[in-house]
Amino acid sequence: MLKVSIKKTWKEFRLKADFEIPHEKITALFGPSGSGKSSILRLISGLERADSGMIHKGEEVWYDESKTINIPPQRRSVGFVFQDFALFPHLTVERNVTYGIKEKKRLKEAKDLLSLAGLSGYERYYPAQLSGGQKQRVALIRALARRPDILLLDEPLSALDWETRRQLQEDLKRIIKQLQITTLYVTHDVTEVYKLADYVIVLESGKVIKRGTPEEIFMGRRLSTRIQIVGKVVDVESDSIMAAVTVMHEDQYFKTLIDTEEVRRLNLVIGDDVVIGAKSSDVILCKVLTETQDVLNNIQQIA
Amino acid sequence: MNFAAPFLLTLKLATITTLFLFVLGIPFAYWLAFSKLRLKFIVESVTALPLVLPPTVLGFYILMAIGANGFAGRWYAGVFHKTLAFSFQGLVVGSFIYNLPFAIRPFQLAFIGVDKKLLEASWSLGRSKFYTFLFVIFPLSRQGIITGCILSFAHCVGEFGVVLMIGGNIPGVTRVASVAIYDEVQALNYGTANIYAAILLAFSFIILTIVYFINRRFFMRMF
Repeated sequence: MLKVSIKKTWKEFRLKADFEIPHEKITALFGPSGSGKSSILRLISGLERADSGMIHKGEEVWYDESKTINIPPQRRSVGFVFQDFALFPHLTVERNVTYGIKEKKRLKEAKDLLSLAGLSGYERYYPAQLSGGQKQRVALIRALARRPDILLLDEPLSALDWETRRQLQEDLKRIIKQLQITTLYVTHDVTEVYKLADYVIVLESGKVIKRGTPEEIFMGRRLSTRIQIVGKVVDVESDSIMAAVTVMHEDQYFKTLIDTEEVRRLNLVIGDDVVIGAKSSDVILCKVLTETQDVLNNIQQIA
Repeated sequence: MNFAAPFLLTLKLATITTLFLFVLGIPFAYWLAFSKLRLKFIVESVTALPLVLPPTVLGFYILMAIGANGFAGRWYAGVFHKTLAFSFQGLVVGSFIYNLPFAIRPFQLAFIGVDKKLLEASWSLGRSKFYTFLFVIFPLSRQGIITGCILSFAHCVGEFGVVLMIGGNIPGVTRVASVAIYDEVQALNYGTANIYAAILLAFSFIILTIVYFINRRFFMRMF
């Protein structure tokens, strides 16, 4: 568990953040650009120092202004993944990944991580020879290789194209879940929050304005509907005008028609998490007659 | 042998000076590049003084400092029981100071030019500032370091005023090529002077060609 309670003022920007991030979960730090998300990561990692407050990692005190404790970044067990990768251009993939490793036994693990990220065979490549997606995988593995207590990701996918981003979202989630590492993920992309995060902290102009699960935070706010069902897209059949989208919620299926244009705009594909909403004015409500065996045949329509 | 002696002495002086500049100049340039001290610009301008001062002025002050009554001269005499002025060691001290900006400036520019994100990545991977310097900053500053070394070496070969002021003209000890040319001209031996001069000209040209070849852009940024 990481506890953060910090204040810092830059020239015209005030940051005041109090929050905790749960153990071995992915927490998204969500907000528009300029809301102070990246600054929080820098303060947690020790690359910058707050004006006041404290940062506790479990029992360890990383920063406490009142006790003038400020552990340097080298001694905070974090893995930092930068937006623009920050790979060492003069080192091979292998040397990049093992850069932070001090124990011999971890070297083998680093190799396993490379293959977990689908990078076996690229050990001797230099960063300039890799695609954007590969670079970010290397950066992720480099951060994870020395098994940090906390993984900090600063909009790790924003420099990538849409297709690569989708693929990497899957990989990120798989790798982070497999290693069970406490993760703080900075993003301004709602889909990414839905896809990756267990927990969301919403930041606006340097202040935490909301926190909760993605469902708690986003549902009902973006859709002014009375009925909402969260599910996974299991099928999309589209022609040039309309598309039939089948969504699975728990063990039930819902089919709905939407504009094909909308499918394209949302980049809706199988596996996406979506919310189906309906207005309260046009809903059929039925009472289930429990005394009969065949429920479906005995629905009494009242609306 | 007598003919070659000034050249050998020049090369010896340039090599030793460059070596010192490399060893001492790199930590100094690192400090200049990364220190957050507010008065850093004063240190920077002091370091750059040899670029604008007449060599005789610089030579004069160095001579005062390393002479028998100067603080450095007295200290040196106390430790080594020798005088520093008009000795080869004295020349090394003078050349070192005189060539400082030619080495420090390219080093410093190269260090500053390394992407700050890479340093932060290194620190957040648990690596110390020293490790980061050795394995990130230094290799990525190669061009600047080579440029600084070559420039100061070449400049050292061509220096005259400072050397004459603090070293005089003692054959085999302080009589470097540039001083030898002056000496030959004074003795009206234009033929010998011409040969010395031609060799120095060719040498300087080759060195500069190499520097430009290594990194043209870098060199342009300096001047």
